[in-house]
Amino acid sequence: MDPGNAGCLIYSRDTFNSNSCSPSNCTLIFMTNTLMPNTIDHLVGLTPGLSTYDVRHQRDKVVAATQKSEEGLFDPNLPGLTVNERLLVALLACVLTPSAVCAAEYRRRLEEGGADASLVEHVSNAALSKIDNVRLQAILKFTHTLITDPVKADQAALQSLPKAGLSTPEVVTLAQLIAFVSYQVRVVAGLTAMKQLEQQA
Amino acid sequence: MSDLIEINGFTNATLGWKAWLDVVKLDSATPEQIAVLEESHPKAKVSDYYLFLVHQPEVLKQRSIAFNAIMYAPGGMPRAERELGATVVSRINGCVYCASVHAQRFEQLAKRNDAITEVFNNPYTAGTSARERAIVDFSIALTNQPNEISPARIQALKDVGLTEIEILDLIHSVAIFAWANRLMLNLGEPVFTQTAA
Repeated sequence: MDPGNAGCLIYSRDTFNSNSCSPSNCTLIFMTNTLMPNTIDHLVGLTPGLSTYDVRHQRDKVVAATQKSEEGLFDPNLPGLTVNERLLVALLACVLTPSAVCAAEYRRRLEEGGADASLVEHVSNAALSKIDNVRLQAILKFTHTLITDPVKADQAALQSLPKAGLSTPEVVTLAQLIAFVSYQVRVVAGLTAMKQLEQQA
Repeated sequence: MSDLIEINGFTNATLGWKAWLDVVKLDSATPEQIAVLEESHPKAKVSDYYLFLVHQPEVLKQRSIAFNAIMYAPGGMPRAERELGATVVSRINGCVYCASVHAQRFEQLAKRNDAITEVFNNPYTAGTSARERAIVDFSIALTNQPNEISPARIQALKDVGLTEIEILDLIHSVAIFAWANRLMLNLGEPVFTQTAA
């Protein structure tokens, strides 16, 4: 099997109708999608042939909307929070959950994007008191509460964000992002356990 | 009509919800925002929740597609059991509004509310059958300690008869309420209406 064909089998089902995958266009699909492979399949290590992969992709609408949610939340064109602010929020959420595999992924993206190394280190250690930027500290404090004890994130917690200079659309992005990562880490955890059970058999 | 359940601050009554920050006004919404509202929920245009989230329309759009595909897709886990998982997660996270909505959906689909009474009383012992107990247990574990979900947890679901697609549907249902609770619970509050059912 040539590499293009293998790539096609791996990635085409997420965003393309599998009927569209023919030898003539496989390489193109492969190239397009390796730029943005499916994050959860990647983090869990799901590949075609594993029954956990096949089961997951029976719910293709969920797979696609999950991936597009992530792409939308980290889209550089989304106005408001910077991409690095968003990645730091995701990193903190994963560190606190905890989800080592997801934390490593967001840390890698921050490092590849040239984020301030000491900032990444502080967030990796959940050392929020060491962050002196008022806006970022308010963002991360809100993240901390929503991840560790969501019932404590009350009206005063939300109001702390506009007070630190966030616009309402920025608040919406932040809340959706924290909530999305809460979802993502649980899908990863559940699928990982399914895959491990499959491999024990 | 369903019996009113009020236990530990949770209820199956119909509640309202109001946002704590400014919502998008329909008369100043963009065509994209209107379109996303219309495809998100039948009542989205009069709901503070959707009118708040539509400040970021593309994010809301994808969330709504994921939510609807998880909770309403045909086949796999019976929808009543997905609603049970959603209610358990909402009970654990303390989301009174979410719990009320999904308690009602469970009852509509299952034609009974005994499991809801148990979840509101004590989710850690809830479940009217071995299968329900396993679903509730897994929902709590994935909510509270996702890092400790082991293959044995999946096997426990298989042992009471869940198929792989049903297990996937349960994982998705629990996970999507980790998402939904953190919006409903943290961006506004339930409104208790005084009218008796």
